[in-house]
Amino acid sequence: MPVSIGYLIWFLGVVLEVTVVVCALKRHSFRRYLCLNLYMLLTFVVSVGRHQILSHFGQRSIEYWYFYYYSDAVLTIFLYLALITLYLHVFDEMKVEKWLRLTAVLLLAGTALFSYGVVHQSFQSSGKMLATFVFELSQNLYFVGLVLTYVLWGAILKLRETRTQLIQLVLSLGVYFSAFAATFALENMFPNLRFFTYIVPVFGCLLPLAWAYAFWRLAPDARMVPARLAVVSR
Amino acid sequence: MSRKLTALLLAMFVLAGAMGLKTVVMAHSDGAVMMANGSDPVPLPPIARNGSDPVPLPPAARNGSDPVPLPPSAR
Repeated sequence: MPVSIGYLIWFLGVVLEVTVVVCALKRHSFRRYLCLNLYMLLTFVVSVGRHQILSHFGQRSIEYWYFYYYSDAVLTIFLYLALITLYLHVFDEMKVEKWLRLTAVLLLAGTALFSYGVVHQSFQSSGKMLATFVFELSQNLYFVGLVLTYVLWGAILKLRETRTQLIQLVLSLGVYFSAFAATFALENMFPNLRFFTYIVPVFGCLLPLAWAYAFWRLAPDARMVPARLAVVSR
Repeated sequence: MSRKLTALLLAMFVLAGAMGLKTVVMAHSDGAVMMANGSDPVPLPPIARNGSDPVPLPPAARNGSDPVPLPPSAR
């Protein structure tokens, strides 16, 4: 991919990340979805940091390499926490907040332990173990997030959740996770297709775009009316 | 007690499902990594500084379709 197009997509992604926070602030949804907005803020800060390091050391430098993957792990953990807060929103009327938090902590700890186990199998010396652990944790947590999003969507359908903004946030997260996973699988199956080089960075812009839309266009208390309730039998 | 065990069971189910999905998605993987936070440019493999170990090929040399560098374990 030409460098200029890559930078253009990157810039667009950063602008959209800021837009999400601005839209949330304008529509008074910042505190309601605090973790989601903090994640977007952190993504913006990390992008600025990556730009600084990239311009100082270059894309092939070890500094950028470490900063990129360590910051990605932090972002993935924040995305996981944001997803858990969406769970809290969906299940808030069932008073199971305590158990959701416990499950989330257990799942995070289990993923970290599993990642450590995988890394420990590969590394007997601890030279690059921390870097590999961070990398492995980030990857595993990504797939945990993917599964959790689908479980949450199932819960939304089962509980007949009608809050439009919440549904939009969850669905966009599901599309985002699935798009990356599907692209990655296809890319490995068809490594000679150059199409994926362009499409993967574009996917990075999809989530902030969908969230910005959700905060800007949808009122926090807007609800969908299920079709079966709208039909009046005569 | 049973609720705590239920929480543990749910966490284990999700973890097992996620790792199963990862195995399916990465079935044909050549060691490339998947990063999904933002649209920032992915770092290229660093130039070798220590020793004479073979350096992984940059993405451009692999038809440019592999978006990410090899994991640290492969370097």
